[in-house]
Amino acid sequence: MISLRGVSLVYPNGVRAIDGIDLEIGKGDFVFLVGHSGTGKSSLLRLLYREMIPSSGEITVDGIRVDKLRRGRIPTLRRHLGVVFQDYKLLSDKTVWENVAFALQVTGAHDKDVLRQVPRVLDLVGLAHKARMYPNELSGGEQQRTAIARALVNNPKLLLCDEPTGNLDPANTTEIMDLLGRINLKGTTVVVATHNQAVVDRMRRRVVRLQNGKIVTDEERGYYFLGLGQDQVLSG
Amino acid sequence: MDWGKIKFFLGEVFRNFTRNAGMQATAIGTVAVTIVLLGVFLYVRASIAHLGNDVFSQITISTYMKSDATSSQISAVRTALAKDLRVASAQYIPKKQGLKELRDRMKGQIDASLLTENPLPDKFRVSVRDPNEVPAVAASIRKLPGVDTVEYGRDVVQRLLQLANVARRVGIALIVISILVAGIIISNTIRLTVYARRREISIMQLVGATNMYIRMPFICEGLIDGVLGALLAIAVLAVARASLVPKVAVALPWLQMNVVQVDLSSLILQLLAVGAAVGVVASWISVGRYLRT
Repeated sequence: MISLRGVSLVYPNGVRAIDGIDLEIGKGDFVFLVGHSGTGKSSLLRLLYREMIPSSGEITVDGIRVDKLRRGRIPTLRRHLGVVFQDYKLLSDKTVWENVAFALQVTGAHDKDVLRQVPRVLDLVGLAHKARMYPNELSGGEQQRTAIARALVNNPKLLLCDEPTGNLDPANTTEIMDLLGRINLKGTTVVVATHNQAVVDRMRRRVVRLQNGKIVTDEERGYYFLGLGQDQVLSG
Repeated sequence: MDWGKIKFFLGEVFRNFTRNAGMQATAIGTVAVTIVLLGVFLYVRASIAHLGNDVFSQITISTYMKSDATSSQISAVRTALAKDLRVASAQYIPKKQGLKELRDRMKGQIDASLLTENPLPDKFRVSVRDPNEVPAVAASIRKLPGVDTVEYGRDVVQRLLQLANVARRVGIALIVISILVAGIIISNTIRLTVYARRREISIMQLVGATNMYIRMPFICEGLIDGVLGALLAIAVLAVARASLVPKVAVALPWLQMNVVQVDLSSLILQLLAVGAAVGVVASWISVGRYLRT
């Protein structure tokens, strides 16, 4: 699903945000990207949905060579994946339904597709009963579920989440992570960048740890802290 | 395109348009001013074209024969002029008639009886079809045998041509400047809308809307600004024409306004096209600048 070969990202000011990363993520995987702030988690995600272009290296997402993607073809890539952010990025003057439908409408979808897909994803995230409400009438967890519904309405095979629980309390955090787990069970590849220790430790999934733009460890069923229980703790 | 899509699209355009009512009014007003200027210029130019033709058609070449020119030389000149396709008409004025004309013209200013003999040469008054051909025709007449001098008011012709040129250039400069100003103001208006909707645009980009799709509502907004401005200008021009033209015709009868035939429907179409083009180009540029990441 995702393949990175020798990928580096150097900002104009000379900072190496990503420094020679090789990474393979298979179809249907669930992967945490961890590491403290400024360590390249968000930059890595941005490279995957072509918000940024790598300075060097090859990136393939769902068979698309992202590093060589022409600008006119970016929409094609974006329709293959969904992105979820810490701040939800909902439109405050649109209802839950409209926010989700918007993502379909702007890709030129037919009315009947909108009427079929929107209830499907609202059901999936458990917000069918709040479809007519506005974002500011919802809890943070509900807003994030709306954002997840919007990310999924195009039926993407890949869901990228950048600190999805960063603004949420523990109860809502659990709720969102359970939802992401269920989405993953349906076959969607999920990549979550987070520095929430509890989330990572509870889920026990693959953990890719970044430090200074490099991958320092990559464990199946990992913990937030390296070698937890062996007194070998990276400060986070 | 099904109805749902069209409805969604029009809704987006309408929301954009009503978001910055003040800015939209400014943009429309600026376009209107520009188009009024352009309309006046085009209208006056069409009128002047007539007027200019009248003035230039009055330019004649005075061909003076030598005092010792033989009658066969005079008739040779007459034949040459008659054969020349560039010549519209040639009138022979023998010196006797010339003196009579001079006396009539100078009546009361000088005492013509002081003239004891006729100082005037025989002459031809030649008018030319195309004013631009006047110098060439004059040059070829000068070469004919028996011809002494040729005069056609070179200075007057050149000055008229220069004046017409300067007037045209000033007009074009004014219009270019005002079109630029209108474009910049529309572009700024659209940029405000783009800025107000930057969250929506970034979400559109995120979920895979094409740049063309994102652009369309803004292009439409610019188009509406341009067309409404042009319509406003056309209304102003129509009122101005209805109330001013009769007065001008009375005040300046020599302008012969009633003779002027300006093709109004094509003028209106031209103005609408300019308004629409300014709106589309200006919004295209300002959205394009934003979408380039």
